[in-house]
Amino acid sequence: MGETATGMRFDTKLIHGGTAPGPYGATKTPIIQSSAFAYDTAEELEDLFKGRAIGQVYTRIGNPTLEALEKRLAAVEDGIAAIVTASGMAAITTAVMAIVRSGDEILSSASLFGGTYSLFRDTLANYGITTRFVDPTDLDALAAAVNDATRLIFVETIGNPKMDVPDIAAFAAIAQKSGVPLMVDATVSTPYLARVKELGADIVVHSTSKFINGTANSIGGAIIDSGSFDWNSAKFPHFEPFYRKYRNFAFTARTRKLIHKDFGACAAPLNAFLVGEGLETLALRMERHCANALKLAGFLAAHEKVAWVNYPGLPDSPFFEVANRQFQGRFGGVLTLGLADKPSAFRLINGLKLAKNLANIGDTKTLVIHPASTICADYSLEVKALMGVSEELVRVSVGIEDARDIVADFARALDNL
Amino acid sequence: MNLTVNGKPASIAADDAISVSNLLETLQVAQREYVTVELNGDILDRDGFDAATVRDGDTVEFLYFMGGGSL
Ligand SMILES: Cc1ncc(COP(=O)(O)O)c(C=O)c1O
Repeated sequence: MGETATGMRFDTKLIHGGTAPGPYGATKTPIIQSSAFAYDTAEELEDLFKGRAIGQVYTRIGNPTLEALEKRLAAVEDGIAAIVTASGMAAITTAVMAIVRSGDEILSSASLFGGTYSLFRDTLANYGITTRFVDPTDLDALAAAVNDATRLIFVETIGNPKMDVPDIAAFAAIAQKSGVPLMVDATVSTPYLARVKELGADIVVHSTSKFINGTANSIGGAIIDSGSFDWNSAKFPHFEPFYRKYRNFAFTARTRKLIHKDFGACAAPLNAFLVGEGLETLALRMERHCANALKLAGFLAAHEKVAWVNYPGLPDSPFFEVANRQFQGRFGGVLTLGLADKPSAFRLINGLKLAKNLANIGDTKTLVIHPASTICADYSLEVKALMGVSEELVRVSVGIEDARDIVADFARALDNL
Repeated sequence: MNLTVNGKPASIAADDAISVSNLLETLQVAQREYVTVELNGDILDRDGFDAATVRDGDTVEFLYFMGGGSL
């Protein structure tokens, strides 16, 4: 997508892919903070509403600053089109609701971000959409769980906070065989670890609030259409009018013209601008996030007060092999560690001076949280176990500070436990 | 050659037939990678733009998935 994107290597694409020159020679698309867009004649606006002409009408539907980011994200993920949304949850909700209808089923990895789990298990269930959860490492169970009502398979590239790494290509093979699309939440891996389209993702979703934005200055989400799924299918009669007109853009067309427009979870132009700023430095930051996380994981794994460390980059991790292959030797910026018990986990968090105790990942700053008492507090012990959340677990989003300072912060806090 | 394009009469500097790709170029249609073309009421395949021919008197509509619809 976008002439400039072709032939560029990934790091270059982050900066130049899908970009267009701005007004006055500006190298950025300005923040067009306008709710609506005026036309000289009634005829022009009529053409726009008929979809005969292209142009901006109303920022919930489209806006130049949002469109600039959409083109860049589509280029980065090698997609055919993208839609940016108010948040990562808005991206997931919008993309999922564009596909499933009442009576349909979602087959999802059980290892999910808490908000997505709650959306699937509770919220969508109230609208007649059932989700079956399976262990993402049990591919036989996944294949066996597909039934006539399945309309979508959903998985996270790196489970947050379980830190398990499913084999995305194997998920894609099952989805393809079943005639349903595979949607992949690639928030934790980011496009830097893998372009999941290459692994077979039909739809990619991101919380851009995390690593893509990178400095935690705004909430945002994105839906990227790989253009790979054949919507001309008896399983998806609701896509028929969109397939007829827009062919491989059927998903983006239905999402834009119906679901995104009606649910209305559009991004703000300022936030889209900020996400675009972050995107330019994603590769540079991820390189450091990954290097620092590996160093911290190694330090923690060798520490006598640490019971266990879960980071796919540690050679004894059960996910090392698949992660190493899938992400080409890069393992992301998030890890979890276990201490003796919950009081020790709290003492560690309280003893850290550099790392901030807050509910987020993907900031330049090192972040920690005790998921069992916070972001997963509402879930039963059984569900927590499914998500890999235990009382002694601390999640760390490793920042891009000097690794020696991060390690020293943990060393001091562990010594004082 | 006279056509009806998006509901309006349009005069094209061509004798009796041009390809749809050619027409998109001639009319400088915006964002051609996304446009859907309807020729005399039939939606064309995107990869058939070179082969499809537009003749004098034809009706052509260009449609986009990005905008449109009731707000
Ligand atoms: C994997 C994953 N998906 C989705 C979300 C939701 O994104 P947001 O907070 O931007 O709505 C998050 C984080 O909050 C996440 O970590």
